[in-house]
Amino acid sequence: MPGVFDRLQIKIADKQTEGGITALDLADLPPALRKIMRLMLRELEMNYSRLCEAMDAVPEADRLSRADLDYALTTLSEQAWLIRIGEKEKAIYKTNMRRKAGSTLMDGIWSNLNDKLNK
Amino acid sequence: MGKIVSIHSFRGGTGKSNTTANLASQAALRGKRVGVVDTDIQSPGIHVLFGLDEKKMGKTLNDYLHGKCTISEVAFSVGDFVARDDQIKGRSQLAGTSLWLFPSSINGKEISEILRHGYDVNLLNTGLQTLMKELKLDYLFIDTHPGLNEETLLSVAISDVLVVILRPDNQDFQGTSVTVDIARSLDVPNLLLMVNKAVPNKYDYDDLKAQVEARFKATLAGILPLNFDIADNASRDLFSLSNPDHPWSKGLIGVAEAILAIK
Repeated sequence: MPGVFDRLQIKIADKQTEGGITALDLADLPPALRKIMRLMLRELEMNYSRLCEAMDAVPEADRLSRADLDYALTTLSEQAWLIRIGEKEKAIYKTNMRRKAGSTLMDGIWSNLNDKLNK
Repeated sequence: MGKIVSIHSFRGGTGKSNTTANLASQAALRGKRVGVVDTDIQSPGIHVLFGLDEKKMGKTLNDYLHGKCTISEVAFSVGDFVARDDQIKGRSQLAGTSLWLFPSSINGKEISEILRHGYDVNLLNTGLQTLMKELKLDYLFIDTHPGLNEETLLSVAISDVLVVILRPDNQDFQGTSVTVDIARSLDVPNLLLMVNKAVPNKYDYDDLKAQVEARFKATLAGILPLNFDIADNASRDLFSLSNPDHPWSKGLIGVAEAILAIK
């Protein structure tokens, strides 16, 4: 029977197939959220209290209130740009980058190439 | 936390891999713990500068992205390899240094697999951050594919320092504007420019520096000359180590020092 960690990993993997953010999407975010997303990309995951600390460190002009931060986290989670595990103050967040798409060339072209590379 | 340094150019042929390998080596020679990742999955090449060929190559970034190994298993210790097997003049100075290369595969089938099926960008980022922590790196240099694609944009987005290489060429100038705009929109904290392959005696370097800095509103960390000695080296060795007094090497070392000076 899988443990808690395994179940969380499966939950994360399921959510990661649902879409995700691209680096170009990051450029369109408000400055404060972009700063947090950049930090999360480096930290891999952050809990709510670490996110609040990070927001407190943002210059006052760009800083979001707690209510606005909560709203932003909810919105980003709904868009599957963030993965949220847990609720409210106990939540852990991870960024969800969109998978690099494969080629749109016809399969036959790739099969031919593979055949040639195998020779 | 260590620093991620991405080396990028909008167009190919600017000397990006050569510059990345030399910058990383200069940092390692100064006692830093350094990683070099080849994210140019479509056309990898930086491994050649570290003396690695297909026979010596073990696990690659492609294996990691396909879930066949951990990112740590991809690490190729340049310091150990050079101490054991390599007698090349410049590179031999890296014996015992803390320098690791994370190569991409040069197997045609493995490259085509990535192009055909894509890959998980989360996994790539997790790998980069994990090796920073596990190897306690001071610097992670990322050699990127020219132009803009997922790997490049991710590396820009997570960078502490972005070095953009350009030639004194109108096509490069226009392309560099795109890269600089994107870097700014992603809040890259430190942006450095480097001009490479400047035709000797054609430019007043002070004028060129003033022009480039005015156009891109960023610091130009060095102007490196176009030189036949570099072409003659043909990626056999790390030129700034084998020829430290050469004008190209002095320019390169200046850029390395500019990166290391960033707090």
